Amino acid sequence: MTEPHLKRNLGLIRTTMLGVGGSLSAANFVIIGEAAGMAGYAIIPIVIVCGIISLLTMFSYAELGTAIPLAGGEYTFSKVAYGGFISFLTGWFEWLSNMFYTALSAIGFAYVVSYLFPQINIPLTAVVVVAVFTIINLMGTKETATAETIITLMVLAILGIFVVGGWSFMQGAPTEQSASPIGLLGIFAATAYLFELYLGAEAVAAAQAEVKNPGKNIPRAIVLSAVILMALYTSVVVVAVGIAPPEVLSHQASPIAYVAEQAMGPSGAVLVTIGLAITGLAATNEAIMAQSRVLYAMSRDGYLPKGLCKVHKRYCTPYVAIMISAIFTAIFAATGLVNFVVYAVNLGFIIGFSIVNLAVIRLRKMAPHLKRPFKAPLYPLTPIAGITASIFLALFIEPSVLILGFEVIIVALVVYYIRMVGYHRIRIAFGGISLGLGVCVCFTAYLLAAGTIVLQGAPRGLTTLAFAVLSIVGAIQIIAGVLNLLAPDH
Amino acid sequence: MDKRKISKVVGLAQASVGVAAIIFAFIFFYNIFGLQGVLDASETHVRLYLWVLIIFGLLSIISGLLLFYEQ
Repeated sequence: MTEPHLKRNLGLIRTTMLGVGGSLSAANFVIIGEAAGMAGYAIIPIVIVCGIISLLTMFSYAELGTAIPLAGGEYTFSKVAYGGFISFLTGWFEWLSNMFYTALSAIGFAYVVSYLFPQINIPLTAVVVVAVFTIINLMGTKETATAETIITLMVLAILGIFVVGGWSFMQGAPTEQSASPIGLLGIFAATAYLFELYLGAEAVAAAQAEVKNPGKNIPRAIVLSAVILMALYTSVVVVAVGIAPPEVLSHQASPIAYVAEQAMGPSGAVLVTIGLAITGLAATNEAIMAQSRVLYAMSRDGYLPKGLCKVHKRYCTPYVAIMISAIFTAIFAATGLVNFVVYAVNLGFIIGFSIVNLAVIRLRKMAPHLKRPFKAPLYPLTPIAGITASIFLALFIEPSVLILGFEVIIVALVVYYIRMVGYHRIRIAFGGISLGLGVCVCFTAYLLAAGTIVLQGAPRGLTTLAFAVLSIVGAIQIIAGVLNLLAPDH
Repeated sequence: MDKRKISKVVGLAQASVGVAAIIFAFIFFYNIFGLQGVLDASETHVRLYLWVLIIFGLLSIISGLLLFYEQ
């Protein structure tokens, strides 16, 4: 009996819609207002620049996606280019980023819907959204991609109405202008902030194992989705700042709905809110698929338990990976911590984009004869420009988030060590740690007894008790250390 | 008493020490029973002790479990 595999059933349109749908998130249309506050009218060229920066990396995705047609996205690319801990770390960040992105999309949906139904419970709604799209993903990629295509086309139609309606309003009415003097720092900060607009287009590469004729469809879908997104976001921003000044937009919870209300009345605001709510659903759906495929690939390669790469016999989907991802996503969605989730998403994707560009350069040198149906144009300028832009954007991420990223790397290191190094060597390591801790504790007990360490204000009886406790703890640690060091190697 | 039983007993004791250290860290941090006053600890020292005790506790728990579930 053979193990079932993922089916190749995604054509060009469906694959393109995966990229567009993955990038269209309700949260994106909320952060436009904040970015307008940072950059003023410069937000229009910034949106275009962000799209170009994203496209630079998308070329790298397209090259690697067609040369290495396996599931896993950035993780798979870095595994081929680097292997070892780098590939594990890439997969780790890719999974976490997609998991946070799923949670953010679900929370964004809940916030947008609360505009029409203020009485809803936001965390509960977000969790329900995650649960529903988990079931859809469990049923199979075909059902997922069909839902994605329908949802994305509906959203594009609604945003199209917004752009046309808003443009007509701008032609017929004088608009309020504002000088909004913004410094260079504000423009750079807004560029880093709006980086999130184009996240999700790379999900096309993550699903490459399920794409028909990947050599042609993956690069076309990646470029097509990037062009569609640039045109869409630019149109929306032009209309938004054309109708309401940037400083007004920055104070709106839902700036696009506010602009729609100014241009088309309350019905326009309702229509746009429905559209944004649908984008939240589309992005949630897409991100659940992407994160489960990363877990599937890492498990397939032995970095994570083998159970995670089990494929459902009827639906041919990695059902264990989907369910595990959904549990973590639901937990973060239930917290409703929007800012934390947004920062985590940005950092993870910036790291992922840098590694993908580095992988292109490394593979061109290491494996020059690798069959590449698509090559990144203007090599090596495009990947180098992509890396430079990513590093530049990282400079504008909040320091607290960078510390969080460092902690995530430490956790990844521990997980990788435990998983890959082997049981016996782990016991030897912990034996040494226990022995060291035991010696430290015994030395502290000695200093206490000798009066070098004095417990200020504590009665003499307490000092004696502390000495006894520390001596026993030290002895336990030393014995445990010796036992672990003497563990037999099977 | 064979080596496996010794490992189980010592592993259980070490893991218990780890759990106790973490519980003590939180009792100390939240100043339950007025421990900070008894030990005359400043705010900076409280954070340091919390950090040290949690690390100590986690390492002890992991090491203890490795011994307890020795293959």
